[in-house]
Amino acid sequence: MRRHLAWLGVLGCVLGATPGNAAAQSADSLIVTGMRAYKNLEFDVATVLLRRGVAQLTAANAPVAQRAHGLVYLGAAELFRGRRDSAVAVFRRLVLLDPRYRPDRLVFPPEVTSVFDAVRLRTKTVAIVVPRDTAIPLKDGALRARVVASSFQTVNVTLLYENGTSFRPLYFGPIGDSLEVQWDGRDAAAQPVPVNRLLLRVASRAPTGELTSMVQLPLDLKINRPDTLPWPDAPADSALRPERAASGPATRAVLGGLLLSAAVVSLPAAVGSHDTPSGPRVAVASAVGVATALGYLLHRSGRPLPANIRANDAVREEWRARVAAVQAENVRRLADGRLQIHAGDPAAIEAAGP
Amino acid sequence: MRVGWLLLLAAAVGVGRLPGQTIHSAVAASVVTARVRTEQLGEAFQFSGAAFGGEGTVSLGRVQLGLSYLQGRLDPDTGNAPARDLVEGSVLLGVRPVEWLTLSAGPHARAYAASGQTQRWLYWELRVRAAKPFIGSAVRGYAELWRAVAADANVPEPFDHAQGGEAGMIVRLARAPFEARVAYRIDHAVGERGWKPWMAW
Repeated sequence: MRRHLAWLGVLGCVLGATPGNAAAQSADSLIVTGMRAYKNLEFDVATVLLRRGVAQLTAANAPVAQRAHGLVYLGAAELFRGRRDSAVAVFRRLVLLDPRYRPDRLVFPPEVTSVFDAVRLRTKTVAIVVPRDTAIPLKDGALRARVVASSFQTVNVTLLYENGTSFRPLYFGPIGDSLEVQWDGRDAAAQPVPVNRLLLRVASRAPTGELTSMVQLPLDLKINRPDTLPWPDAPADSALRPERAASGPATRAVLGGLLLSAAVVSLPAAVGSHDTPSGPRVAVASAVGVATALGYLLHRSGRPLPANIRANDAVREEWRARVAAVQAENVRRLADGRLQIHAGDPAAIEAAGP
Repeated sequence: MRVGWLLLLAAAVGVGRLPGQTIHSAVAASVVTARVRTEQLGEAFQFSGAAFGGEGTVSLGRVQLGLSYLQGRLDPDTGNAPARDLVEGSVLLGVRPVEWLTLSAGPHARAYAASGQTQRWLYWELRVRAAKPFIGSAVRGYAELWRAVAADANVPEPFDHAQGGEAGMIVRLARAPFEARVAYRIDHAVGERGWKPWMAW
């Protein structure tokens, strides 16, 4: 009589959990009812209820903990129904879902936990634990990801481009319980990451080297850099003095000297005196001529102008100092950039059975 | 005909500025080699000697006032004429319509003293002077012409005309407090009846 009532309950629950009502709440009810059936040793009923509940939780993308809770009861129920293969398959599914999961040994008897442990040891898979959102300094920061293994295995931790080609290997080697890997936000050439999306993939291998499973999660990347300062403009030509003498001053010296000498020599005639001695006039005109020659040499065209060169050098040096200051400031700002990392949901890729 | 000519050998000039940067003043000392030639009734006399003088200028904007004084002794180059003392001075008020041009006017007095007799001349002159740097800013060249519009002298023959000129250069090195001047100057005066009184500048 009690068995029939249980089956009626199963029927009611199953019919009530139509696709239209496949909500998490009804899945939870299936799981709870299945657990109650399991505790009442009604393993057939528990199996149906739990399988249905787990399916609904999976379809609803329920939290891993809820699904794992249902799976461990389902595996135990299958085991007690005498369907060891089904139990192994459920436990394997549970290990793949959450490699860190361990059955509560106060709830489940050693028959169950031993089977689960055997399955766990044979199943080589990992879980990747990464903060959902992280911001790391480009200069010296690092993304820390923890790889948790179901059992001892060899793993290959790699960052991949979206198309699957390798971006940067992070770790290859054995892993016991867990392993922390770090990525500094740069590629193999130590340059900032050039793309905005990468895949973090962990490939698990059996002791024979056979690829057993892969887990990967997408990393959305965004580099936030402060704006850099523009370089100061080079000194304009108008701000620089000519560094070579033009021809004007030399020409003016020659023409002015000639004109002045002529004025000195012809001065008596200009004032109406024609019989004056020429000696004094020639002496003054000669002095003017000597000064003119010196002036021409000192102001000849193309002559370097040291004062202007020094002044221009000072202007250029001041500009170079300002450029250096801006460069240093830009280097500092670029170093202060941060890489924002958003981790997506991990996906397990089962390569092959053990 | 009478011709006077001289060579201004050097002049040391100090330039100062009064507070307010509006009134500029300058003083100068001159060493002059002077030659004086006079002709009278076909007979020519020629004298030469050194003279020393000073001058000062005060300018306010485009207006300037110049004072000068010169004194020296002239010895005869030919003949047995007695030596003469030379004294002259001037007061000229000028204006600079443009930076390089100065127009000025004023009295110019000169005296020759010899053997207890003194010839005194007083000219009222108009002057025009152009000055411009021609070797960088260190050397300025200048030329000056003047003409007497009236004259008063204690000589028997009436005055006919007098004119003269000066040309030279002024050198002032960078940051130097003084400047040096080398110039040639000549004066020429003529009497109405050909009598040629003493003339200098």
